[in-house]
Amino acid sequence: MAVVKGLLWFVFLYVVPMFIVSSLSEFAPEIFSSYGNLLLVFVAIILFFVVASELTSGTIFQHAFNIGKALILMIFIVVALEGGIVALDFQGFHLVADLRIYLAMLLTIDLVGLAKSVLQAINFLSEKTESQLSTLSPQ
Amino acid sequence: MRQAIRALGWAIYILWLVIIVFTVTAVYSAFQLGLDFDDLQTSTSEGTVTLLLPFSLENNGFYDIYDLNITTILKESNGALVSNSSTVVPLISSGNKINATHNISISLENMTSAGLSRLLFYDTDLDMEMSFALRYAGVIPLKIGRNFTMPWGAPLGNLTIGDVAVNPYNSTHVRAILPFSFENHSFFSLNGAVRTEIINTLDQQVGGTTTLINVPPQSGYSTQFMVLVSVSGSGFKEARLYFDTSVFSYGPVVMPIG
Repeated sequence: MAVVKGLLWFVFLYVVPMFIVSSLSEFAPEIFSSYGNLLLVFVAIILFFVVASELTSGTIFQHAFNIGKALILMIFIVVALEGGIVALDFQGFHLVADLRIYLAMLLTIDLVGLAKSVLQAINFLSEKTESQLSTLSPQ
Repeated sequence: MRQAIRALGWAIYILWLVIIVFTVTAVYSAFQLGLDFDDLQTSTSEGTVTLLLPFSLENNGFYDIYDLNITTILKESNGALVSNSSTVVPLISSGNKINATHNISISLENMTSAGLSRLLFYDTDLDMEMSFALRYAGVIPLKIGRNFTMPWGAPLGNLTIGDVAVNPYNSTHVRAILPFSFENHSFFSLNGAVRTEIINTLDQQVGGTTTLINVPPQSGYSTQFMVLVSVSGSGFKEARLYFDTSVFSYGPVVMPIG
């Protein structure tokens, strides 16, 4: 199951986007070709955590990996978007884009994902405790 | 707690959907912008030369463009500021096309008083920084710029006064003939007058004349100043030239004469 999920995510996150990036690279190679490496790192992070989360499914480690994924993705997004101010040079032009609002939107999604993972971990622990209590209770 | 987790899951899906839709439509819209420039025109008035750059921007994307600001900074190669001009278009709505003109104003009056008077006499290359700043879709500020080199033609290039010839006139005056020439390398016409003063070795003004000039762009001008000079017993030291044209006033330009 972990391998199947990993493969599906790989196709969805790497093969399709790389096809788009490669197509766009023909128009402006200076801009888009540098994003191939970032995409590779992004996919590596996602695949690692998807596979790890699947392998540890049903344990607290699954939620720990989900929390780790949210935190690492937040750092990755900040680094990839250069803190929100992206500067590019192509064909003699210098382009500066202020993507801080975009960055804030992405970080918000990750924060919501982090909150969800924390709640899932708490829920998992509470359910586990409840089931242990029910087995200990007198018949 | 399960409901809260489910709600957060839905929130994540919806936020991702918003971001993906926004990203795709924003990139698509960026490719739907059409920017065209017309031919550069020039005009002169009251000591200012203006380069007029008509342009049109067609926004066929999904999002409005706010605060389009075109800025051109002209500098000499040593960094001295020659001109700083901006054109602002507050809003270009989706589906609309605007036609505007970016004016690059070069004040020759300021230039002569700001230590840039050598630009009147010597051709050079000016560094031009042109930038476009805008707020795309109301939330993404963008700035795109490029550096160019712009050739500057001196309006008084190769300014020369040749050897002075002196002819007798009467008992108190002689007639001095000064060959005078320059080349107008600029893109504007020089209309006005040149006032000439002859100074002797005792630093006294011994004669003068005023000549009207009308020199089209990219053309030379050559004449001979006929100046009646009072006989003072001393030789000529220099000629002082004062230019008073429709574009600038400048002087004195001191030229030694023998």
